[in-house]
Amino acid sequence: MTERSGFWRAAAAAAAIALAAPAALAADLLERRESLYNNIFIFGDKDTVTMTFGHNKRYYTESSMKLAEPTLLTVDYTRYMTLGVAYAAKPDRILEIGLGGGRTVSYLKMFMPDTAILAVEIDKDVVDLAKKYFKFTESASMRAVVADGRSFLMRDPEKWDVILIDAYRGPFVPFHLLTREFYTLVKSRLAPGGVVVQNIEPSTMLFDSATTTLASVFPSVDLYDGGGNVVAVAYEGQSLRQADLLARAARAQERFKFRHDLRAMAQARRVLSRPVGKVMTDDFAPVETLRAIEKHNEKWKEQTDAPR
Amino acid sequence: MSSSILRGIMLFTLAIVLGFALMGFEMLASRYLYPYFGGGINTWASLIATVLVALMLGYLLGGALVDRTMSPRLCGFLLMGAGAYLFSIPLWVDPLFGWTLRNVGDGMVGITFGATMLLLLPLTLISVFTPFAVRLLLTSVSFGGRLVGYVYGVSTIGNVLGTLVTVFTLMPLYGSRALTMVFAGIIVLCGLAMVAAHRFLRGSAE
Repeated sequence: MTERSGFWRAAAAAAAIALAAPAALAADLLERRESLYNNIFIFGDKDTVTMTFGHNKRYYTESSMKLAEPTLLTVDYTRYMTLGVAYAAKPDRILEIGLGGGRTVSYLKMFMPDTAILAVEIDKDVVDLAKKYFKFTESASMRAVVADGRSFLMRDPEKWDVILIDAYRGPFVPFHLLTREFYTLVKSRLAPGGVVVQNIEPSTMLFDSATTTLASVFPSVDLYDGGGNVVAVAYEGQSLRQADLLARAARAQERFKFRHDLRAMAQARRVLSRPVGKVMTDDFAPVETLRAIEKHNEKWKEQTDAPR
Repeated sequence: MSSSILRGIMLFTLAIVLGFALMGFEMLASRYLYPYFGGGINTWASLIATVLVALMLGYLLGGALVDRTMSPRLCGFLLMGAGAYLFSIPLWVDPLFGWTLRNVGDGMVGITFGATMLLLLPLTLISVFTPFAVRLLLTSVSFGGRLVGYVYGVSTIGNVLGTLVTVFTLMPLYGSRALTMVFAGIIVLCGLAMVAAHRFLRGSAE
């Protein structure tokens, strides 16, 4: 049995790196769908189901779920995405841009039944497949809207306490979701005390520019190593004292009883203090070029400090 | 060198430069459209359709005008108009697209309206050049087929270069707005050149 669990650990690690290696090892292809935006592949076996987008003959994991345990977030970085709840002054309204299988919002909904959640997803087929395979269900307080994240925000003036941004198309984030103008728009849609949480892939120069651009709009940016991907949490005002964050995490954890303990995750906090990239704007955002320049995976930690 | 060869060199050079700028603008236009209408295949469909409509209108208009006037000066003024319009894009694009998104939405009608406002008029005026070039170079019907082939072939080389160089070399180095203005300036210069060389380009035409 040890060998088998070793295999599963390896499989989980592979899946955790959302933007790497062929995922869905040893699973059957359940459905393949060519949508307006993506080539979507659903792989599964009796235990797990995985949504991947095919790109350049590689599969990029968008979502993964263990069927027997819907309250388990199998992909590491998605656990860290939920930390936004600890930061927010009041986590009553959550917006997600980029649904995927809907694991993060479904998880949040299970533990926060009274919170209003809206997911904006550009690809209608992704929403359909999330419902079909990932038990994503819409209700009065959890809805999905099919729209481009940015044009939705421009048209919809509502404010949110937590905005989660996880809009990958395979290996790419569209350039217009990485610019100063976009983050300024996001900031204008935050309620007082609100936070933005974004999943960023750290292995290329694009990471430096993305975090620097985030920091050009939000005075405080924290980074978390989400097992391959980095989760950035950005907010207004001075950087939270670590003791305050831990107190908030404890309060939120006590109230919602999350499976993945916010207090433990908050310990992994790094504060972005020396952004080194170039700010990207609608005018100038050479995302393809930046993405082509690889850098050492762990280097980003040099741009951060331990929290005080 | 005979003046008809020089005329050919000048018009083929203009065909390359204008072809370059035309496709350069198509690629730049995507950068203006994405933030408002999203970056999907639907944005590209509207954009490409708009450019093709502009080419069609420009060819029809240019053909009619050159037969009637044989005036390189007129073509030059139209190019200058195109350049001036394109130069002004960065000034009004954000308020206009914001309005479009709120009032028309980000569906096919909204995106096509956006692409039309950006490109339809100026690219129509730029593509007027092609029939002008054909007619101004045409001295004998027996050479007509090859001449049309050359003009389209050369301007398509410009199109190809404009697509690749703009995306792979220029956009990673310079902002879209700066590139828009520089390209627009180059088109104005092309127009000025045609106005200045009016007599020379008309040559022995009746």
